[in-house]
Amino acid sequence: MTTSQQTGGEKEPGVGQDAPRKVALIANCLLNQNAKVCEGARYRGLVNPVVEALRSRGYQLLQLPCPELAFAGVRRWWAVYEQYDTPAYRAHCRRLAQAIAPLIEQHLRRGDEVILIGLDGSPSSGVRFTSSKPDWGGRPNRPKDDWEIVPRRGVWIEELEAELARRGLPPLPATGWALDMGRFDEAGSRRDLEQFLDSREIAAGSRDDNSAAP
Amino acid sequence: MNGDARGWRMALASDTLINPRTLARAALPNVLGVLEANGYGVLQLPPAGEHGLLLAVIADQVAEYAHHGYAVVAIGVRGEPGGGLHWHRLASLLRHRGVALPPRHLIRSDVDAAAEEQRFAVFLSDYDLPVEEQRRWRV
Repeated sequence: MTTSQQTGGEKEPGVGQDAPRKVALIANCLLNQNAKVCEGARYRGLVNPVVEALRSRGYQLLQLPCPELAFAGVRRWWAVYEQYDTPAYRAHCRRLAQAIAPLIEQHLRRGDEVILIGLDGSPSSGVRFTSSKPDWGGRPNRPKDDWEIVPRRGVWIEELEAELARRGLPPLPATGWALDMGRFDEAGSRRDLEQFLDSREIAAGSRDDNSAAP
Repeated sequence: MNGDARGWRMALASDTLINPRTLARAALPNVLGVLEANGYGVLQLPPAGEHGLLLAVIADQVAEYAHHGYAVVAIGVRGEPGGGLHWHRLASLLRHRGVALPPRHLIRSDVDAAAEEQRFAVFLSDYDLPVEEQRRWRV
């Protein structure tokens, strides 16, 4: 079942007929590395490999808000999942999700393909992986601090997906740019992202072939 | 900041410039390319329509940056209402947060795109906070 079948596929008022049909929700810092935690920015501004991979495949970009910046500020310390797993932070994330969800819903109800590109290893924006250390606290001590990478959504992605589910929208195909996994491997991250995007192209091609068959 | 690559500059950018429609694409400069080349990050504004809560969230983020030594500009499109920047609403939200309005640059789609790209690049490269303000925060 396609997204448009699940959601009715109605045309929304004010939506142009010629609008692109592929939309990538991207973590805030993939367009703005100034949002990163102190000592965490790997690029001056845009993460160009991500932008290029998406635009060359015809994706529109839709930037998500940065939950950590708006909550703990631009001079915050780094943290793990457990430190952000608090009622106040989750309420903050729900507010941000309610701010961006109408735009996502508009795309989905129109039948657009919507994907999510998060930030793997991030306590907030992780998709496939987040950072974990249940007993972390007190003064940070880099580089001696250690944490684990565990297969789990970050807090912000959990709350965003919950908001979309509350609106009766289907889960989004998602992956993460592996920026916060400890040792950053740009070439590997690029291959990983391109494989995810190309697998979606192949799947879409198969669906088109099947629908064209007599 | 040790080993940190941030550029300390960013642009509020209209949705039209980030996602140009097919017909407009040839008439507009490659805005993301120019921003990247000049080390700017992007804060994307929503397309036309009512986005009150999202604009408030964006204004919160701009305030946080503006109060801590980051340079913020706004990039819109001449001929679109408010430059495609939700300018009237955004200005009100920023004023309430004690933030001066960012310098605004409007891209023209009715002139040569290469010349417009050059004009845009000069605007970006020329802008930053005063040196004393940079020294205060950017350590």
